Amino acid sequence: MAAPRLIMKLRVAALRPTGGETLVVEFQHPRKPQLPAFTPGAHVDLHLPDGKVRQYSLCGDPADRSRYVIAIKREAQGAVSGWLHDHLREGMILPVSAPRNHFPMQPTEGPVTLVAAGIGITPVLSMARALGAEGRPFALHYVAPSRASAPLLDDLEALCPEGSLHLHLREETGARPDLEALLATPAKGAQLYHCGPAGFMAAVEAATRHWPEGSVHSEAFQPPDLGPPQPFTLRLKDGRELPVAANETALQVLRAAGVPLMASCENGLCGSCECGWSAGMPLHRDRVLSPEARSRRFIPCVSRAEGVIALDL
Amino acid sequence: MLAQMILQEDPMRWTGTLLNIHIAPAASYEMEELAEAQLEAGRGIVGDRYYLGTGTYSARPDVREVTLIEAEVLEAIAIGEPQIPGFKGELLPEDHRRNLTTRGVPLNHLVGKRFRVGECVLYAARMNFPCKYIEELLQMPGLYEGLLNRSGLNCAIEVGGVIRPGDAILPMEG
Repeated sequence: MAAPRLIMKLRVAALRPTGGETLVVEFQHPRKPQLPAFTPGAHVDLHLPDGKVRQYSLCGDPADRSRYVIAIKREAQGAVSGWLHDHLREGMILPVSAPRNHFPMQPTEGPVTLVAAGIGITPVLSMARALGAEGRPFALHYVAPSRASAPLLDDLEALCPEGSLHLHLREETGARPDLEALLATPAKGAQLYHCGPAGFMAAVEAATRHWPEGSVHSEAFQPPDLGPPQPFTLRLKDGRELPVAANETALQVLRAAGVPLMASCENGLCGSCECGWSAGMPLHRDRVLSPEARSRRFIPCVSRAEGVIALDL
Repeated sequence: MLAQMILQEDPMRWTGTLLNIHIAPAASYEMEELAEAQLEAGRGIVGDRYYLGTGTYSARPDVREVTLIEAEVLEAIAIGEPQIPGFKGELLPEDHRRNLTTRGVPLNHLVGKRFRVGECVLYAARMNFPCKYIEELLQMPGLYEGLLNRSGLNCAIEVGGVIRPGDAILPMEG
């Protein structure tokens, strides 16, 4: 589960159609001139009236904090995208979360290759904007069936410096691009960022398997599928093993065993009961620890484990 | 002599002011400022997440019908107090997620006591405890420590009514 983010009621300030049955939506805050900052690759959550939540990458300029720009493709089976296309109007208020970035650019100096297909262009567009603003060279490969089906193509052509945008349109080439050939030779220190449909991303992964470790990055919006709670076991520093039944929390078991631990919200939010773990396979279900902290910290009021987990208690 | 004079002062002789009223419609939603609020005894501020049962902690048995924080704490944070490495920032009345921002009210001294806010009567059930949640929400690392022991009050509403910014906040006997 992701950590909480502020939800703001933002106003739809502008709407415009772009290629590929996609709607570009610009949000502004009704009262504040500045929105929370974002970095290239970040996304926001849109909260819909029926309670559904959808994530959309920000494709605007990270230096412009007066607005958030997203692009919504009308998906054939997508009830949400269809509803948004049919119902969004300028002036409407919609709850939008503060941005979060699961697809950040690495702080490197080397050359950057951006690869996107279809609506996967959205996070890549904000990356291209940031690189352009810094005057850093980059190559952007954009794959789409045709000009008409390529979202945000006008924006790309306006912002990409001469020679940096490489269009791969099937209507012109008659074939899918040869990614293996295109990405055959990584330049020294190069970083690659890619986003698009699952099949496309798998093809990019296959074509870059020989790139140095840590040089290929992609966007993955895949919330873990949390099944029903399973029993597991806590091992304490004194060697005691405490079984946690499916209907119990680790915190309850620790309390019953007399282990002193602060607790407040017991919802995985406040971090009061945080402790360390040293061995095992934790199933983190809190909304407070950072991904980095999860490698050694544990929130026993909500998090569980597979098998035995050793805690620093 | 001076100490004796201070001891003879009534510890409850203060008068304060209500500066701001904020509510949020649900957990994590940005707070919205009100020019006037309806307090309902035993329940909360009409329209607020803890009135509606949509707050982060709504499922937990506790008192949080209305929460208060001192403007003086926000001002101290704005000038960098307490000095915690890596912690700086400004906590605006719309950011701190308490309902009422007060001036001139010794909130920590009121635990277990009743006091007036305009025409309403509140009972200070417990000190508010800061949470990592707000640190995460506002992207202000260190805010949790910065608010320890001065995070305001969680109150029950004993007498409801309408309150507005500018209303007097006054101690009550007992």
